[in-house]
Amino acid sequence: MQAEAQIKCRNLWKVFGANPKQFLKKHHGNPSAEALNEEGYIGAVQDVSFDVNQGEILIIMGLSGSGKSTLIRCITRLNDPTAGEMEYEGRDLLKLSDRELIDIRRHKMGMVFQNFGLLPHRDVLENVAFPLEVQGVPKADRVERAKQMIELVGLGGRESYFPRELSGGQQQRVGIARSLAVEPDIWFLDEPFSALDPLIRAEMQDEFIRLQTMLKKTIVFITHDFEEATKLADRIGIMKDGRMVQMDTPEQIVLNPADDYVAEFAKNAPHERIVSVRAIMGPVAADAVGSVESTAKIGSCAEQVLTGEHPVAVVDPATHEVVGSIDRHRIATSIFGRRAA
Amino acid sequence: MKYALKGALVAAMMAVPGLAFAEAESDDPIIIVQNNWTSQLVLSYVVGKALEAEGYTVEYAPSDSQLQFQAIADGDMHFQVEAWEGSMKSAFEKAVENGMVDAGTHSAATREEWWIPNYVLEKCPGAGSWQGLDRCAEMFATAETKPKGRFVGPPADWGKNYADRIDALEMNFEAINVGQAATLWAELQSAYDRKEPIVLFNWTPNFIESKFEGQFVDFPAPSAACNEVKEWGPNPNATGDCGAPHSGWLKKAAWSGLAEKYPGAWSMMQNIDFSNAQIAAAALMVDVDGMEPEEAAEKWIEDNADVVAGWKG
Amino acid sequence: MTEVMAHRPSEGLSLARLPGWVHFALIMVAGVLLSLVWEGATRWPEAWVIPAEPWLTGYIEWLKNDATIFGVEFKEITRGIGAALKAPVKWAEYLLYRGFKGIGLGPLPWVAVAAGVIIFAHWVGDWKLVALCVFSMIYLAVFNVWKDSMKTMTIVIVAVPMAALLGVVLGIWVTRSRIAERIFTPMFDLMQAIPHMAYLAPVAALFAFGPVTALIATVIFAMPPMARCTILGLQTVSSDVLEAGQMSGCTKRQALWKVALPSSKRTLMLGLNQVVMQTLAMVVIASIAGATGLGHKLLYSLQQLRLGVAIEQGIAITLIAIVLDRLTQAYAYKETDHFAAEKSWVQRHKHMLTFLVILVVSYIAAEFYRWVNIPPSKFTYMVDGEKVTLFDAKQLARTIDAALREFNTWAYPYINPIRDWTTINVLIPTRDFFLWLPWPVFVGVIALAALRLGGLGVMLLCIALAMSFIVTGFWEQAMKTTYVVLIAATISVLIGVPLGVLAANPVLLMPPILMLIGIIEIYQIVAWLLVPLTVPDIVIFSTTIDIAVFATIAVLAVLFLALSPRLREVIFIVFAIKQIVDVIFWILSLLITLISSIGGGDVSGFSAALMSGLPSAAWIVTALLLLRGVGDGLFQGSPLVNLAQFFQSVTRVILSTCDTLQTFPSFIYLIPAIMLFKIGDFANIFAIIPYAMVPAIRYTYLGLKRIPPVTVEAAIANGTTPMQRLWKVELPVALPEIMLGLNQTILFALAMTAITALIGSTDLGQEVVRSISTQNFGRGILAGLFIAALGIIADRLIGSWAAERKRQLGVA
Ligand SMILES: Nc1ncnc2c1ncn2[C@@H]1O[C@H](COP(=O)(O)OP(=O)(O)OP(=O)(O)O)[C@@H](O)[C@H]1O
Ligand SMILES: [Mg+2]
Repeated sequence: MQAEAQIKCRNLWKVFGANPKQFLKKHHGNPSAEALNEEGYIGAVQDVSFDVNQGEILIIMGLSGSGKSTLIRCITRLNDPTAGEMEYEGRDLLKLSDRELIDIRRHKMGMVFQNFGLLPHRDVLENVAFPLEVQGVPKADRVERAKQMIELVGLGGRESYFPRELSGGQQQRVGIARSLAVEPDIWFLDEPFSALDPLIRAEMQDEFIRLQTMLKKTIVFITHDFEEATKLADRIGIMKDGRMVQMDTPEQIVLNPADDYVAEFAKNAPHERIVSVRAIMGPVAADAVGSVESTAKIGSCAEQVLTGEHPVAVVDPATHEVVGSIDRHRIATSIFGRRAA
Repeated sequence: MKYALKGALVAAMMAVPGLAFAEAESDDPIIIVQNNWTSQLVLSYVVGKALEAEGYTVEYAPSDSQLQFQAIADGDMHFQVEAWEGSMKSAFEKAVENGMVDAGTHSAATREEWWIPNYVLEKCPGAGSWQGLDRCAEMFATAETKPKGRFVGPPADWGKNYADRIDALEMNFEAINVGQAATLWAELQSAYDRKEPIVLFNWTPNFIESKFEGQFVDFPAPSAACNEVKEWGPNPNATGDCGAPHSGWLKKAAWSGLAEKYPGAWSMMQNIDFSNAQIAAAALMVDVDGMEPEEAAEKWIEDNADVVAGWKG
Repeated sequence: MTEVMAHRPSEGLSLARLPGWVHFALIMVAGVLLSLVWEGATRWPEAWVIPAEPWLTGYIEWLKNDATIFGVEFKEITRGIGAALKAPVKWAEYLLYRGFKGIGLGPLPWVAVAAGVIIFAHWVGDWKLVALCVFSMIYLAVFNVWKDSMKTMTIVIVAVPMAALLGVVLGIWVTRSRIAERIFTPMFDLMQAIPHMAYLAPVAALFAFGPVTALIATVIFAMPPMARCTILGLQTVSSDVLEAGQMSGCTKRQALWKVALPSSKRTLMLGLNQVVMQTLAMVVIASIAGATGLGHKLLYSLQQLRLGVAIEQGIAITLIAIVLDRLTQAYAYKETDHFAAEKSWVQRHKHMLTFLVILVVSYIAAEFYRWVNIPPSKFTYMVDGEKVTLFDAKQLARTIDAALREFNTWAYPYINPIRDWTTINVLIPTRDFFLWLPWPVFVGVIALAALRLGGLGVMLLCIALAMSFIVTGFWEQAMKTTYVVLIAATISVLIGVPLGVLAANPVLLMPPILMLIGIIEIYQIVAWLLVPLTVPDIVIFSTTIDIAVFATIAVLAVLFLALSPRLREVIFIVFAIKQIVDVIFWILSLLITLISSIGGGDVSGFSAALMSGLPSAAWIVTALLLLRGVGDGLFQGSPLVNLAQFFQSVTRVILSTCDTLQTFPSFIYLIPAIMLFKIGDFANIFAIIPYAMVPAIRYTYLGLKRIPPVTVEAAIANGTTPMQRLWKVELPVALPEIMLGLNQTILFALAMTAITALIGSTDLGQEVVRSISTQNFGRGILAGLFIAALGIIADRLIGSWAAERKRQLGVA
């Protein structure tokens, strides 16, 4: 199930400072943290390599200032990386002409900003239609498309409102509608929900999932909220001081954190919803009663296991063979054990 | 359709001034300079209206009294009816060098001299002459000039150096120059209302005569020798120990191209000649009777129809 | 400062460890010693003077007469540009007052113009705007300034769009190109710091004398604020918005026109406001260079000492400025109609249609009635077959003249001693000090200050600027300018900053003022008891009224106290405001008494008159202020008087006075200044202050308003009293901004020296004015540049300080 990489990043560097290119060269493309510090440079992104696969939701996490925004701004070329390579569907992103870049942005990429980035002088409709307008889509067409998008994000009837007349959640929906108006292939979201209150936020997350099931886009999503990440992610990348310390499925991150920093992130994660039965099962047990699929999350079978006296058999959903068993004890440690530790 | 309409509109708009300009081509306006004192304003309207009566198109352009001459030399403006020896001599002469034309001198004579309001004579009976004035110098002192008397002089750029004359006559005065004529009048008005002694620069003809009572101070009569021969005059060791001439010139200035472009107007302009009385009458209607300068000009032309008719011939 | 020194790495020089004042002292001593042994340090040696003046004059003469570019005479080019610019001016003239002779169409009838303005106001604004426009149109008509206003407008309606457009274009260019930034940023500084008079003569020489010269001079003066605002606006658009634009696939051009510019609208509109104000502020000076209209008439009125008329004309200029400004701002912020689509075409265009109808009707009516075309010079009506004049502007003007003269005669004996005392004891010594100052001390002190505040670059720039007027032989004039400007700026700041504080936070000043009330009240009663012995009836009369009104209020207060807390508030406010006004007058009168007694004037009768006679004036002012407050309260449907509302209106009054001071022609203050103070630096300084005070007020206000609310709230939470908050939190935090106000104050004062030169002075300003008449282009431009140099030195010093301080406060 090797998915195709839509975006490839290799050894990406983004250094801020007086003369970053020369600085990198001086240190043979790999300056140490001390060197950065000493010469007053900020290594916002350091030697990051990863792929974004077709159709996946990749979530990037990390502490404030760890370089998440800078990373996706490099990919979208809002910032030019200092060194490294990037490909988009096999095309070298760094060698694009201005025209080609504009074209890719117009048709392939969409982006939602942390602070919405709405144009204050345009109403909702005009904001959403804006990307189409700059492409030169005829007015009637773009108005129609924009209205659809507004309908999609649930803002129908507010077309002629100005951003200042909308709440934060509504503004972000406009941002989302705008980024979707051009039907992008890949969608970047930089902490889209962080400015929202918990209720609206949960609502927006559900909305997001709803949209994604409809639209099936490739998504790169930044968040601070691990729970949010686990709710949405196919894979999670965790950044620290500009470096990508681990990129893996939520389950792997929870179970096999690469270091303490990652473990700290995963600490409060709801294991029952992340970890699958397969990861904690024991050997095949003879006294097993009933069965669960090995890919099921432990939360979904916890009741079944906990209420029964006997272990439950674990079945591989593909082959229908019994591959192990799971008992109360294993479930209890996996859910509560770590938290106590 | 929308664009066609706009295009047509623009075209129409372009055509209108085209018309206006085209018609004006045959008689470009003659531009007459206007300054900011009464007699000049009224007389410039008089000239303008006389020219209009002859079928010329006339425009009036306001100007600073000093910048105007260069503009006349360059042909940006065409005619100035009042050029004063006292305040404009240097700018006038410089512009003549650069091609402006001296269009003749009026019969009106001008005089510029130290001037005192009449009430000063009550406090200092001798003030009518320079020696008498000098004896009361302290009466005119201010904080800056104490113990010397203060003489409120003309703007420094009018080319009068009264400090030199004070030195030459060894007077106990200090000349404080104003920045513009209006400042002189403000000083005079303020002192006059309070009957405070003041001696200041003044000239004739102007509106001051109609509003304030006063007289010029007598100085030793000027002569050529005064400025060249030290022994001449009250101070045997200095030149310049005398007053200003009692009759300075009042000239007309014109653009050099007038003669060719508007020969009729040019000959009229050369004939124009105002006397002191005529100028005073013109200014009086505005300064005392409160008419607008343009009204006053119409009235003046009515009153002096023969004079105006004379210019044509 | 010592601390800073201590932390610096020692460069092996023990000198560097000495405290700052020692450095300054060393420089001064060294400079003075140098002047003792070398005379050249007192006065730059004659032989070393660089003859920049003849060079420059020669250069401009050469440009004008002989220069060619690619075989085309330079003069042809400039004159060509002049001719091209003439076209729009001509158009405006046809439209506004000449008429289209070619097709026999007159100029716009005044009824149509006035109706147009009012209809436009109704379309874009609220009833207040409409009221303002109605009032202004009536004013222009009844004060006999309509035609001249239209003449003035011909330049204005061409200059404003031109300056705005040019400003935007240059501003964009500067943000786009390093080179443009390098070239234009200092040019904008210069264009604003050089007094406009300095470039009138050369511009006139190169571009043909007439309206075009006025237009160009106006545009040069009015454009830089627009450019600056454009730059500021573009640089401060939130990066999110810009990036959203980029991600939407904007090309560079789209990113500019569709994203960056529209989102910086607020700042751009501020720029436009400045353009309008500056354009109108130039009206009078433009008339020196050949613009007809109000400016020309105003100078004529002043020349005739018809101050009343001049004031009427000056107010007309100010009104035009305010109307234009409010209309453009209202247009820009017009709310979009969410329901426009549902209305019929006629409904959507009703304003336009009404105007068109009025236009056509008035053109036709103008054929039959002259008053439709031009307002009548006298508004008369018939009573029993006799003409009665409704309103006579000339009569009013004469009354104003008489009143001013009356006031002058009355006040002079008291003011003259103050003038003399100040002149002898303050002005002359200060001037002499500056003239005595050896130039190495001057340059050294500036250099050291620049080094400490801004570093090496700033120091070199300041040295270069200061040396520029020394080596060209303008030292003496420059020092006279410096001294006048320093004094004027100091006074302006002393008056302006408290006003700014009051505007920003009027409630803050209440407690101390309330404390004063009691004291004043007692004082007044005592004064009332004593006064009959010493002063004439009129004074007793006004004091009696004063006391009587107070008694009435007191009775009312007691009667209604129990009934309505609201009313109690009203009474409290009436009381408080009256007292504020009273106190101001009182302090003034005390000051005058004090200083004039030092000067030896006779003051007993006068001070008594002031102290007890002014309360009735105070009542009038109070009533006016209250009317505003109460009116606002009523119209907003809130309770009768609302404290906050009332203070809001105080703020508005102060700020709109600022607008007014900026456009009201400063030439007008010159005359009363001369009448009261005679020619001299006292009058000069007096005339500078109203103009230079404006930025001090504005910046203080803005500085205080921009303090983050958290900061203030934290201080409240710490239990500070309002006064403590002001002194310990708000003023220190706002100080950088206030200092920038001081900076602007100095620049404004410098600019005014070219205008006060008309009173009579011997400084750089006088050189500028004199160069116009002597056609000595070089000297004028140099003097102008040196005024600018002084301004830029002040700007760099204060600017560096403020930037550093802002950085420290983390509000950069
Ligand atoms: N334009 C810039 N110039 C200099 N430094 C920058 C710039 N943009 C980002 N940085 C630095 O790069 C580092 C990474 O910033 P980035 O915005 O990518 O962090 P982040 O992970 O998105 O943080 P947050 O969660 O707060 O949004 C930070 O140290 C920041 O200071
Ligand atoms: Mg971020």
